[in-house]
Amino acid sequence: MLVLTLVASTLFVGQQSLGQENSSELFKTDVLPILKAKCAKCHNADAQKGELNLTDANAILDGGESGAVISTDDPEASLLWEYIESGEMPPEKSPQLTQAEKDRIHQWIKSGAKTGAEANRQQELTQLDILPILQLRCTVCHGTRVKEGDLDLRSVESILAGGKSGPAFIAGNAKESLLLKRVHAGEMPPKQQLVRVSVKPVADSEIKLIVDWIASGAKTVEIKEDVANGKPDPLISDEDREFWSFVPPVKANIPTAKQSAKARNAVDYFVMAKLDELGLELSPEASRRTLIRRLYFDLLGLPPAPAEIAEFESDTRPDAYERLVEKLLASPEYGARWGGYWLDLAGYADSEGLQESDRFRPAAYRYRDYVISSFNRDKSYARFVMEQLAGDELADYTDPENVSQQVYENVIATGFMRMTIDGTFAGITGFVPDRLVVVGDLLQVYTSSMLGLTMKCAKCHTHKFDPIPQRDYYRLAAIFKGALDENDWLIPIREGSEPGQRDRFMTLAPTEERRAWQAEHDRIDSEISKLESDLESLRQATTNRLEKERLERLPETIRGDVATALATVDEKRSEIQKYLAEKFADTITLDPAKLAEVDEDFKKAEESTTNQIKSLNNSRPEELLVRALWDRGAPSPTYILKRGDYLTPGRPVGPGVPSILVPDNRPLKVQPGFEGSPGTGRRLALAKWMVEEDHPLTARVMVNRIWRYHFGQGIVRTLDDFGIAGARPTHQELLDWLAVEFMEHGWSIKHMHRLMLLSATYRQQSLIRDEHLDKDPENLYLARMSIRRLDAESLRDSLLSVSGLLKKEPFGKPDTVTRREDGLVTSNGQNGGWRRSIFVMKRRTEIPTILANFDRPRMSPNCIDRVTSTVAPQALQLLNNAQVKSWAESFAARVISEGGNTDAQRISYAYVLATSYQPVESELEITQQAIDKLRVAWKTDSPDMNDEELTAKVYTNLCHALFNSASFVYVD
Amino acid sequence: MTKQTHNSGTDQLMTRRNWFDRTATGLKAAALASLLKEDVYGESRRVFDFKPRDTHFEPKAKSVIHLFMNGGPSQMDLFEPKSELERLHGKSYFEKIAGEVENPTAAGSLLRAPYGFSQHGESGAHVSELMPHLATVVDEIAFIKGMFTTNLTHEPALFKIHSGQERPGLPSLGAWVTYGLGSENQNLPAYIVLDDPAGLPVNQTQSWQSGFLPPVYQGTRFRSTGAPVLNLQREYDEPDNITELERQLISRLDKVHRSKRNGQLELDARIASYELAARMQLATSDALDLSQESQETLDMYGIGDGASDSYGRRCLYARRLVERGVRFVQLFINFQIWDNHTGIAAGLKNCCDRTDQPVAALIRDLKQRGLLDDTLVVWGGEFGRLPIAQLPADKNEKNAGRDHNKNAMVSFMAGGGIKGGISYGATDELGFAAVEDRVGVPDWHATILHLLGMHHEELFFERNGLKERLTSVNPARVVHEILA
Repeated sequence: MLVLTLVASTLFVGQQSLGQENSSELFKTDVLPILKAKCAKCHNADAQKGELNLTDANAILDGGESGAVISTDDPEASLLWEYIESGEMPPEKSPQLTQAEKDRIHQWIKSGAKTGAEANRQQELTQLDILPILQLRCTVCHGTRVKEGDLDLRSVESILAGGKSGPAFIAGNAKESLLLKRVHAGEMPPKQQLVRVSVKPVADSEIKLIVDWIASGAKTVEIKEDVANGKPDPLISDEDREFWSFVPPVKANIPTAKQSAKARNAVDYFVMAKLDELGLELSPEASRRTLIRRLYFDLLGLPPAPAEIAEFESDTRPDAYERLVEKLLASPEYGARWGGYWLDLAGYADSEGLQESDRFRPAAYRYRDYVISSFNRDKSYARFVMEQLAGDELADYTDPENVSQQVYENVIATGFMRMTIDGTFAGITGFVPDRLVVVGDLLQVYTSSMLGLTMKCAKCHTHKFDPIPQRDYYRLAAIFKGALDENDWLIPIREGSEPGQRDRFMTLAPTEERRAWQAEHDRIDSEISKLESDLESLRQATTNRLEKERLERLPETIRGDVATALATVDEKRSEIQKYLAEKFADTITLDPAKLAEVDEDFKKAEESTTNQIKSLNNSRPEELLVRALWDRGAPSPTYILKRGDYLTPGRPVGPGVPSILVPDNRPLKVQPGFEGSPGTGRRLALAKWMVEEDHPLTARVMVNRIWRYHFGQGIVRTLDDFGIAGARPTHQELLDWLAVEFMEHGWSIKHMHRLMLLSATYRQQSLIRDEHLDKDPENLYLARMSIRRLDAESLRDSLLSVSGLLKKEPFGKPDTVTRREDGLVTSNGQNGGWRRSIFVMKRRTEIPTILANFDRPRMSPNCIDRVTSTVAPQALQLLNNAQVKSWAESFAARVISEGGNTDAQRISYAYVLATSYQPVESELEITQQAIDKLRVAWKTDSPDMNDEELTAKVYTNLCHALFNSASFVYVD
Repeated sequence: MTKQTHNSGTDQLMTRRNWFDRTATGLKAAALASLLKEDVYGESRRVFDFKPRDTHFEPKAKSVIHLFMNGGPSQMDLFEPKSELERLHGKSYFEKIAGEVENPTAAGSLLRAPYGFSQHGESGAHVSELMPHLATVVDEIAFIKGMFTTNLTHEPALFKIHSGQERPGLPSLGAWVTYGLGSENQNLPAYIVLDDPAGLPVNQTQSWQSGFLPPVYQGTRFRSTGAPVLNLQREYDEPDNITELERQLISRLDKVHRSKRNGQLELDARIASYELAARMQLATSDALDLSQESQETLDMYGIGDGASDSYGRRCLYARRLVERGVRFVQLFINFQIWDNHTGIAAGLKNCCDRTDQPVAALIRDLKQRGLLDDTLVVWGGEFGRLPIAQLPADKNEKNAGRDHNKNAMVSFMAGGGIKGGISYGATDELGFAAVEDRVGVPDWHATILHLLGMHHEELFFERNGLKERLTSVNPARVVHEILA
């Protein structure tokens, strides 16, 4: 029978396409069974991957998250067929469709792709088809903030209520509906305004939908946002939930290890247990010099000074190492190092990017300073996360008269969410899709930095690897929508005088700072007004004096009469007085306003006053701007965007977090953060969830990052992806133990440093032995430490530190940079010194060349982990760059003045400064030889050079060579 | 890079092995194996250098010269005459395309092409009278007339054409190509940008960045005057013999450092990078030394003539660079000369005076030296222009220009596997939108990669759990119709 059908239908296809009846027949007899056999494992009524159920004709017509999977208009374009034809479905590891089965499905597609269920389905238009269109095309002027003509087009009720001209539509009467009349007439949206407000005209297909909806009676349905409901989630399976990183971490027992005598703390036992399995052992402890150099760079990003090295080397106390760790953790430079890592994650930049102008972000540095201070104070990581995700919802910030330091920091912290590339300040680059890119970037920054899951794929479709349905991406977007609403947008540049009206700046400062700021303005005002009044007095006095002198030059006989005449007002002058006044006015009377033209002294005084006022005005403290993100309440609805396209909104969703991370699928508890809060409280709910103790990821992800910066690679090597496509942990028990320990110790980052740094694992040598290469060439299991090249910032900061040119002045406005004509970008020093690289302007288009050469990335939108490249431009930078050479001169001057009087002493000192080590004998010898040769060469070249100049030249060469040596650039 | 590295041949292995043998004495076999494993069989690539790499399939082109025409050359004024535009000149059209007009207040009526066209070559290609030189090489060229893009603002459109998406911070085409293929010349950068001494283009250096790819793959600017590469020459005065003594000291110290650190390959790579830096200084000066060229060649490129001198030099540099095995050369003009918002008649003439002769000479020169077969020459801007006039503030129609248009643009390719003498695709009767055989930017990228032997879906970089590609998630099609 089957054979017969096959032959029959093949014949049919050969001749002409099958009729509808045959098509639906084919579906029932052949296609549905295939779908049930090969697709139903993931696409059934209970497990609806991609929200698709392929086991029933009606459900197939319903389609999935990407919309309809069958197109009867253009069957070959049906999504279902597209996936099958491209081989994308069934997925790789599942039973595949045979060629015969594919042919069968294709045959059905060609025959019209009918299921037989079409007739019973009546797709009625509802407001859900219409409101997204109006939202996109009209609500800028008829919506949340602006209601032109008193018209609000956000809901059916408000549309019916209408505006000044009456209801916007009449159900059942499309022709007479005002809304359509205006649109048809081409009046709305107004063509000349389109670009200014970033709105596109209403498409013909959209107009047709509106017409049809109104004509068919403007049917409405109850709107139910899709949120978690506490029942099992059909889109997530129990098996999905068992993946290691989706299960909360627990502390395993500390394992035993063969070499336990070497262990210093729990970390070592976990590491050694793994090494035992591989037949490897921990390496011996490194020398003190190696350790102090390693610790300094790890914790401060700076080299230790010779005196600090000497002190540590001679410290015989048993806890000398522990003391050193404590000293470094307490250093203010620690925050500048570790804050830098965080700024990479946030994608910190002092400019907007995108446009040619790469506009400067006025107040971004306040967020930078907040991050540095938070690390220095060992702020609980939980608190740190909460402030950055929901600082505006933690406490009332709305009363400018009453802003505590904490409230201020809360708001500054939300700068985390304002760091992405953003060109939406101009109408033409600020359309809804442009805004959605900004939203997408923020989600990426948040998920890749704090959450440790990649969700970007779920913007367009259910994640291919991880159990993250597309729905979850939009639920997450809904969380941020109270503040970041693509239909109600705040632009990234300062506009007008009312902060926060249209732009995203808030004037905010702790009450004390604000008062001081006001007082400073008042002081400047009063100084200026005193200067002005002094000048006025001088003007009057000078005028009087000069007029008097002029009078005195007149013949004595008329002097008195002229003076009287001029002093008398016009109406009261006698004829003679009028004559005199007219005749002598020009010679005697002065225009006080033009006094400077006739009196040199006054001119000077006036200029000086003008300059003083100008400089006083220049010294005014800047506006207390904070670049923040705050919830404004009343967000527009969030729809799942089918295939990520803003023009194809699907069903509405409410706020929620990834379902895979919430075992009981409980709804997110959303409450406003404080009484009278303008906000929705959505991000507050997110923030609270992030730091719940059974959150499977937050602590693991952060602990893994700290580990990476101490040991060179993470326990999970994909720092931002703990999901199925990410790397598996090399030491899961250790990671989990640390994560729980982290939470148990108040999320203290410094506690984690101590655990890691005090371990024997961290204190090992980095020498490679044969067994390392045989058994663990990549050093995943840490039978040694890995050597590391200084990163961009540490390299530049070390050059400056060693040269004695580093100014340790933290915080505040970033130091400017200069772009040379040939494109070389350098940071500008102040008074012969330079600040640490973290305080140099991070303009996206102007990364200082030395930093760019050593792998400082451009943020897009953030940087998860830096790469270390080894390329010729690095060598060229250190060898040929004039600034580096000039720093070597300073280094040499320092060596000559501080290092002693003999070459041997000076060479040693230079080595210790640059590399932390004393030179070994061969290095001393090589260097001494070089110095001797250089002396002769310089003397031959410039016989007139005196000894002092000669020494400076020779040592500059030595110091420059040290800058270029591997021992300077690498840490053992 | 999985696919690409899987089929690595023995030649490459040998090259790499030789390299390691030379630089790392006493290297442990296991370490070598581990490095090779990562590179050749690894799931994700962790070695980033310019060693030549295998392609996905047999390449047609070895190098690319991208002549980027910043500003948006006008598609209906250069290669595609429109009789309807001629006929309807002066008629209003704004209402029909309002959503596509950036400056509605300046919108004028339909505007005909300011210069005439004639047909050339055996192919009979239409070329504006402003490009008499290009007209002589049209039989080498495939014109892509159905091209369009997705944004009508310079910056995002530039990002799109250079890196596939309308946003900064992503790897540029040249970065992808060198990441995928490495280079044939280890003494010169693999990706060289010849920007205009008169000033940087819009988006400045962002058009040749490496984005999330390792910074080694970003374009290196070669300047025509002074030191061609940043920091290439000493920026301070010092007798050569003294610099040499210092270099010897560095080298000796590094050897001591290295000798105490067995098996640390990074340190070998670093020493190699210092050696390369030294070789680059020589190779670069040689590559840019135009005194090695005959007067005839210089004249052909228009070098010495006022208008075409600057671009002519860069075109000639480009030939010298691909001759030396440089993988990707990109030419820019100062600012955005093709952005003819006003005075389009004078503007176009200026653009053509500067570039027409050099571009034609480059194609002819490559051809006569046998280099055109494996060098792909690509010409084009970031978008096209509108068929209606854009009026200046005084509304004087004589000074009219054209505003940006994303719906149509023009590009052409020659050499390196391209079928010469053809025209592919077309715009509507007014030249407003590409309607026939449309080619999107992702298609254009996929085609260039294809000619270089790479499949756009298999050239990827893992980041944030995604396989990032030049063509991103956009459907992209190789335009086989223009391939030889």
